[in-house]
Amino acid sequence: MIPLELNILLASTMFTIGLYGLVTQRNGVKLMMCIELLLNSANINLVAFSAYLPNVNGQVFALFSIALAAAEAGVGFAILIALYRLYGTIDLDNINAMRW
Amino acid sequence: MYADYAYLIVGLPVLAFVLCLFVGWHLPRGGGFLTALATFGGLIISLGIFTEIYPDKIIHQSMPWFANFNVGILIDPLALVMLLMVTFVVTLIHTYANGYMNGDPGAARYFAEAALFTASMLGLIYSDNLLQLFIFWELVGLCSYLLIGFWYRKPSAAAAAKKAFLTTRVGDVFFLAAIILLYNNLASLNLALNTGEYLLQFPVIYAHLAQIPPAQLTLIALGLLGGAVGKSGQFPLHVWLPDAMEGPTTVSAMIHAATMVTAGVYLVARMFPLFYAAPHGLTAVAAVGAFTALFAATMGLTSFDIKRVLAFSTVSQLGFMMAGLGIGAAVGTMAVGVAMFHLIGHSFFKALLFLGAGSVIHAVNTNDMREMGGVGKYMKWTMYTMLIGSLSLAGFPFFTGFFSKDEIIVIAYEYGVLINFLPYIFLVLAAVLTAIYTFRMWFSVFTGKERSNYGKHESPMIMIGPLVILAVFAFGFGLAAQGSFYSYLDTNFEHYDVNFEELGVIGGHVLEGEHGAEGAAEGEQSTAAEAEGGAEEAHGEPWYIQILPIIIAIGGILTAGLFYWDKIKKFDPSQVTGDKDPIRKMLLKGYYQHEILTGWFAEGVVYGTALICNTIDIKLVDGWLNWLSAWVMGFAQNIRKVQSGVVQNYVTALVLGIVVLVVVISLAKEVGLA
Repeated sequence: MIPLELNILLASTMFTIGLYGLVTQRNGVKLMMCIELLLNSANINLVAFSAYLPNVNGQVFALFSIALAAAEAGVGFAILIALYRLYGTIDLDNINAMRW
Repeated sequence: MYADYAYLIVGLPVLAFVLCLFVGWHLPRGGGFLTALATFGGLIISLGIFTEIYPDKIIHQSMPWFANFNVGILIDPLALVMLLMVTFVVTLIHTYANGYMNGDPGAARYFAEAALFTASMLGLIYSDNLLQLFIFWELVGLCSYLLIGFWYRKPSAAAAAKKAFLTTRVGDVFFLAAIILLYNNLASLNLALNTGEYLLQFPVIYAHLAQIPPAQLTLIALGLLGGAVGKSGQFPLHVWLPDAMEGPTTVSAMIHAATMVTAGVYLVARMFPLFYAAPHGLTAVAAVGAFTALFAATMGLTSFDIKRVLAFSTVSQLGFMMAGLGIGAAVGTMAVGVAMFHLIGHSFFKALLFLGAGSVIHAVNTNDMREMGGVGKYMKWTMYTMLIGSLSLAGFPFFTGFFSKDEIIVIAYEYGVLINFLPYIFLVLAAVLTAIYTFRMWFSVFTGKERSNYGKHESPMIMIGPLVILAVFAFGFGLAAQGSFYSYLDTNFEHYDVNFEELGVIGGHVLEGEHGAEGAAEGEQSTAAEAEGGAEEAHGEPWYIQILPIIIAIGGILTAGLFYWDKIKKFDPSQVTGDKDPIRKMLLKGYYQHEILTGWFAEGVVYGTALICNTIDIKLVDGWLNWLSAWVMGFAQNIRKVQSGVVQNYVTALVLGIVVLVVVISLAKEVGLA
């Protein structure tokens, strides 16, 4: 069995990569991918602790989370398409109408 | 039986007010006959009450109102003579107004306001407590405002109305303060009142005067005097009365000569025991009155407006009445009778003079005496009735004014012997001037050449009738009523629980005996004789004091004749411009009081102060608030830039926030805080 530490290390790495992408990237699609990374790092944690305890609740929550991530991705891409039609770009630096 | 209908004396004019106000313009002459009839009804009831209670009863009806106050009717000799005079004179004036106001588009409004005025004045007279009196007092002031500004499209009339309202309001503030002070003092005595007795009722006030501290009494007396000074046009609040002539002449006759302006004198007479008990109270009254009498008479000498001459004359005569009351310090309650007698007589001949002036103005269509002259040829009735009024005002022997005014001068002499001769000197000089300015007016209006092309016709009979009736009274009232009037008025305060000897000690009046045994003996003797209402109360004076008023009157008339009667001397008043001679100019300008009060005080001091206050308000009070809000706005302008609209920035801030939180919490755990 893979040790818990390695799982957590993997999850942490994924989270950090996602966070880094979220802060530095300008492209809307890349941002969506980074958010998926964040969600999935959390899922890995849930599954890893579920196997470690052992308690099946974590795996159930991971399933919920995957379903929610799918819905979130659907809504997110729909917004990005709408933005593209409106502005002709999905570079978020140019889409700053909701500011002061 | 009539006493049961006493409330109708006010009720009928109120009814007439409502009718004229709402349906007046559907009625002929604006419903003026309703107002006249309502007042006449009041006269009938007053006469009925007179037959019932004369000579030794009073009527006192009262019902609770709220808290410690009541509404009530008190008809004692003082109130009764006022009721009779007001209803009688005002009935005649309303009748006359039916002719005078005929054709005026605002006639209905005029008669409604006149009816309301009548009701308020009558209510003021027979109020049985100070609060009720004050309410009617203010109503009377309101009606005065409305009627002076009757021709409100004329800017001068609107300004005069405002001036009258504001000036009298100055006095009313003092009056209200006096009422509050009196109430507090009476309330602090914790009196055990019988049922039906209330703190501000006159009988209750009279009965407990001796228990109020003398210093408080003086304050109250000065406050009441302030109210009276405002309402009766005494110095220094007389400025509104000459300007009040902007209203219709009937208003001048009704409000500013015969009735309303006497309210101040009536108030002092009504509260006479309080003034008597208050140290220096009556002295202040006498000083104000005597000074005003002379002061206003000098201004009456130079005015060219016939109504303004009469207005100054009114101010002067009211001064006589005030002085008469103030002289009560030397002669006791008898002063009330003397002052009231002049009040009643004055209202007859002054109403007559004003209505006569109105008749002249109605025909000639100007107020300026320089454009009149020779009017007597065309207006015989007006001329002779006004002659009677003028003779009466000048104090010609056996006319009403002779008995009333000169009685004041004679008791002023007694006051002089006992206390101080100044009021006597002032009043004598004022009496000389009275005779002069009255006949200056009469001669320059009715005799001489016609100085302009004016309307030459006599006024209609509805206007002449009241003139004739008033002329009869202006001539005969003094002769007929003198003795019985004094003896009746002297009984006024005997109906109440009031001890004048005790009050005199508080007021410091018995100390006058120390001036000299002779003077004191004479004073007491005459006071005793007067208290009995004897006709020979003046026995203490040398013969020349009693003759002097006659000389004054005839001498004054002759002096006026010398200058203004063309049969004696050629003199054309139209030549006088009044700008050359400094004294004449000063008198014409009313001692520059307008310049001082309006120009210097109002526009300089008050307006300047207001400007400074305005600046402080804007710069300081509003200023720091505006500065604070501007600062908050500017701060927000700067920090709202944080909302950049770029998602990455929000994420960065979020992450940084979490990091900071984590660091803080771990540090806290590290040192053991959490």
